[in-house]
Amino acid sequence: MIGTKHRIEFSPEKCVGCQLCYKACFVDVIRWDAQAKKPVFKYVEDCEHCFYCMSVCRKDAIKVIPDHASEHLMQHFEQYA
Amino acid sequence: MEIKRNQLNCDVLIAGGGIGGLTCAVELKEKNPDLDVLIMEKQFAGYGGKANKGGGVLQYFQLDKITPMDFLKFHVNEIGCFLGDQELMLKYVEMNHGMLDKMAGWGIVVPKNDDGTYNVMPTGPFTAMICVDLDLCLQMRKRAEKLGVRIMDKTAVSNLYVSEGKICGACAYSILDDGNFYTVSAKKVVLATGSQNYRLASMWSCGRGDGIAAAYRAGAEMRNAEFGNFAQLMKVRSHNEVVFGENFMYNAKGEFITKNFTDKRQTDIPSAAIREWYLQMINGNGPVHLDFGPAKKDTAAVNIKWKRDYGQRFRDLNTADAMAIDVDLEVCPMLIGEQSCVKVGHDMQTTVDGLYAIGDCSYCGSGAPGAVPAPPGRNRGSGILNAVFSGILCGDALAEATYEAPAMIPESEIEENVTYVYAPLHNENGHDPKEVIALIQQAMGPSDYSVYMKEDRMEEAEKLVAQAKELVGNLKAVDMHGVLACHEAEFMVLSADMHYTASKARKESRGWFLREDYPEMDNENWLKWIIVKDVDGKMTLSTEDVPIETYPVQPQ
Repeated sequence: MIGTKHRIEFSPEKCVGCQLCYKACFVDVIRWDAQAKKPVFKYVEDCEHCFYCMSVCRKDAIKVIPDHASEHLMQHFEQYA
Repeated sequence: MEIKRNQLNCDVLIAGGGIGGLTCAVELKEKNPDLDVLIMEKQFAGYGGKANKGGGVLQYFQLDKITPMDFLKFHVNEIGCFLGDQELMLKYVEMNHGMLDKMAGWGIVVPKNDDGTYNVMPTGPFTAMICVDLDLCLQMRKRAEKLGVRIMDKTAVSNLYVSEGKICGACAYSILDDGNFYTVSAKKVVLATGSQNYRLASMWSCGRGDGIAAAYRAGAEMRNAEFGNFAQLMKVRSHNEVVFGENFMYNAKGEFITKNFTDKRQTDIPSAAIREWYLQMINGNGPVHLDFGPAKKDTAAVNIKWKRDYGQRFRDLNTADAMAIDVDLEVCPMLIGEQSCVKVGHDMQTTVDGLYAIGDCSYCGSGAPGAVPAPPGRNRGSGILNAVFSGILCGDALAEATYEAPAMIPESEIEENVTYVYAPLHNENGHDPKEVIALIQQAMGPSDYSVYMKEDRMEEAEKLVAQAKELVGNLKAVDMHGVLACHEAEFMVLSADMHYTASKARKESRGWFLREDYPEMDNENWLKWIIVKDVDGKMTLSTEDVPIETYPVQPQ
């Protein structure tokens, strides 16, 4: 989807730099800061709230907070009122 | 930004590192270890693609109880509606157990019972399912790397190079900040980049039509482009899909409306369920909700309980999120898409010599499923297995193929592609690609446009596609992530254009394909495949007769 307002909370102090969240993101929201050895949540506007990054993080450093209201079902609801 | 150019060589370039691409690479290297095989995946091979984000189910045929021909007859009559390549579908069924054994041999955990038989869940008189853990692509990546397959992640394959009708390579670029450009000289190229899903439904969002566009631009023929409009019932708040929810539909008056389109439980959602939702809504009987009855009050119509160490957390997070927000079971359709129209033969070769397409890139293009969009194609568990099936066929064909030095790629074509790939970075006054994507989503998303179709409504949708088409040559990006979005927007415009062009031509209803103005199946005039092809920059249509007289199952 586009135009969504999902949020991602990241706790860097918990992160061990395993890169799994970076690899798991299939829509390129997450980039890798090689110097800091931490993920960068660079393109959050493209997040699909799939929870894959959160799922692979065994240190609970990531929390995805979906904003479902910002997703659109793309139906002609105005015609059905 | 200075772009570094790189030259690469390989025998076989595979675009896409999902389950299809990885299967093809593994099968090929096992059969012919001497070949140099390179996978380029625009995200991460083993993590990208769809196989690890859906249900993780494999279709299983109980071949001790039915024959492949039994299933074929059922499929042709109930699902494919005589538009399928019956020989290919039969082969898919016959290879079922062999494919499962191969997958297990490659390191994928395919659950078994204590007696060594596969742990299956029957889903109907002809089919059953097996649930695999969602790390299946990671296991395949390990296997591929062990066999010597080279893998480049975060690298998007773009245009293909063809010389005198024969493939000779592709260009590619890094989507990371360096934006490296690659010219890949390859003797064969396999497109395994998935289907087109228009970035609508979350879990299918990675299918952005890259391979379809690459093949089309290279002059390959497309087949069944009009069968790229799969939709599913979703809960209106969480947007989680409800598999088999079509069996439990009620309108606002409390009337059981499933009975209006079927008197029996079907294998999977038919487009008539989407039509029924539309008719209820337009006649003021909405909203539509599901009611599973007193025996089943949970929020999912199917609640599969299998032990999946890797995937369970992923599934649990999604389920918990949905349950927190879904106060009821109001549903509406959401377009998933699944256009998969690259035409291939039984060896998965396209109409361009040396160019192959597998998995969801060519599911409908293979002709195998007939009148139904890409997996699940009303055939649950066929998504992963079709990718494995086509990957094996392609790998076997490539293992036996003849390899000659590819033609030299002219410098002028390389320059053209460099200009094309990075153009959005030099166009600061251009349009945001999301403007284009929004128009395409408005054109494809509504069910009364793309699923329950009618000439005048399709013309409305086409106007939106035309608006998008005017913008695609003038897009802007500030970095490589944005460059990728610009090119993906182009692919979406092409796919939507093909969908409506082919859909307007098919003047009948058949299987999933549903037209209000042509409600009947017309075997006299439309046992035909619609072929879409680029001819001198113009989208052209032709038809090809389905060789129904040579197939074992005939219309009555």
